[in-house]
Amino acid sequence: MIRRIGKGFRIFSNWMSTYENLVAVYAALGILVALCGVLMVPMLTYHEDQIYSKTIHRDSTLDPYDRGGIPFTRAEVKAQYPANSPTVGFVTAYLTPLSWFLANSTPYLGTTIVAHPGGILDEILYNTRGLDTVVETSILFTAFAIASFLFRRRD
Amino acid sequence: MFNLPIEGEELFVLEFGDIVNYFSLYTTTLFLFATAFIIIAIIARPERQTDIVFGTDAVYIKDVNQENLRFQRFMAIACGLATLGAVSSGDLFNFSLFTALIGITNIGIVAGVNNRYVLNAAYNYGIVAMVATTFLFGGAATALGTCGTLSIWELAGLGMVPLAAKMFLVLGVMGEGMAPFYIAKAEITRAPGAPYVLMIHVSSLLIFLRVIEIILTV
Amino acid sequence: MDFYQIGLFCTLICVAISFIALFRERDDIHKILVVDLIETTGLVLICLVATDLAEALILPGLVVGISELLMLTELYIRKEHLPLPAYKPIRIEVMRTAPPIITFALVVYGIILSGFSGGAVAGIGLVFYFLCKGYEERFALLETISGYAWALWIVAFFIFMILPQAWLIAVMLSGGAILVKVTTKMALIGTMREGRNV
Repeated sequence: MIRRIGKGFRIFSNWMSTYENLVAVYAALGILVALCGVLMVPMLTYHEDQIYSKTIHRDSTLDPYDRGGIPFTRAEVKAQYPANSPTVGFVTAYLTPLSWFLANSTPYLGTTIVAHPGGILDEILYNTRGLDTVVETSILFTAFAIASFLFRRRD
Repeated sequence: MFNLPIEGEELFVLEFGDIVNYFSLYTTTLFLFATAFIIIAIIARPERQTDIVFGTDAVYIKDVNQENLRFQRFMAIACGLATLGAVSSGDLFNFSLFTALIGITNIGIVAGVNNRYVLNAAYNYGIVAMVATTFLFGGAATALGTCGTLSIWELAGLGMVPLAAKMFLVLGVMGEGMAPFYIAKAEITRAPGAPYVLMIHVSSLLIFLRVIEIILTV
Repeated sequence: MDFYQIGLFCTLICVAISFIALFRERDDIHKILVVDLIETTGLVLICLVATDLAEALILPGLVVGISELLMLTELYIRKEHLPLPAYKPIRIEVMRTAPPIITFALVVYGIILSGFSGGAVAGIGLVFYFLCKGYEERFALLETISGYAWALWIVAFFIFMILPQAWLIAVMLSGGAILVKVTTKMALIGTMREGRNV
């Protein structure tokens, strides 16, 4: 009996020490935790009082991203710590001259405002949560450095 | 939040807009530990390995590739800096981003060794590290959805963050901190450039300690 | 159950299913595809929050996934010692005359757009040029430019934190930096495997 347990243990430890199998181990843990999460869904209620909540004005030319304000004035933004970023709201209301012209003459600027400087997403990404973006670009930079190092290394 | 048993007293607060980093007694200890290992990585010189031919007196000294070495040192220092960021971050999403950066730099340290087995181990670890970001970001996002904020300052001591979000965070950190398993097996600790491998162990240990602090605080 | 819970329920089931796929997969190259699938379900978890903040957080999530994918594929190629493709590019009249005009138009339009999508548009223009016009790529030069873009970004971040009054300069710096960064990265991705490294 003990010998059988020992043999089973040996097979198991041999299997575990092969690092190709660790992906499968992690995947098994992932399945388990995801299913636990599914069981816990009734406890996860949505918190209504969110920061940076969405407001949508359907008749605006900046349709999904209209957060109010004209350039160089302050728009209302519900930041986590408004005291830490005294100019919060200016970037949200800012439009470049070109996008200001487009916003006033066509109804189609709504989705492309994300691409121009200014707007709510730039406010969050650059100003209030700037550190996130710094880390994100560092990740891209590091991954690219590794890829180009491997690419240029002669075997 | 500094009245909680695990944190200790407040020492320093660093404000970056919505992300407010904090240094309590606990996180400062981790911070100093990581700083010490960055200094070690900067000043350490790699050992020259020797192979003894069996049955004779001949000894081979292995050559250390200078270019690989510089790359590994760069990645080790970057890994240390990412660890500093992760242990001092005061925001759930920011913490998970720093943890993802630690995972990537760990792969970089390992990929500096030009050996098929080591690269295979790095690839397998890379898959786990990449999959783990799902749970890291998912955990932070679930906390945001159910609590309405990401800042640890707001969440501290309230116990609002649901168990599921905590489980996701821990599993994500487990995936990113799995690197020592691969290193032990791929025998990279005996490969040239060994001192920089130390940083992988240190960063994995520190992010585990930090995530424990976070899930006990929020 | 409100909408958030229904969405969470479905997404977590998707996560479990994609992890089952990873559990059963044995082939290395297929693992990359499965991993990409799992990353996408992670982004859906962020999307479910449905605020402006969640929309802004998707960008870092996406970038982390893409950059790790880039690195893993390069690692796979090195690990398997896959050879570089050796074939001559096809010669068609359009590919000789059109690239300067189309690339110029796309790059100018990308600069006008600026920001992330502007970088993507300009990058596609450059990829088209490199594909058609031979590939004497200046790998090191492009890398240096993207390094400067990264530094500009850090400068913009510190302007936001230390001199909040100069927010306009910081926004312009960030917008310009992301344009340059995405353009160079996309141009490199298109040409990395062909031609020789100058």
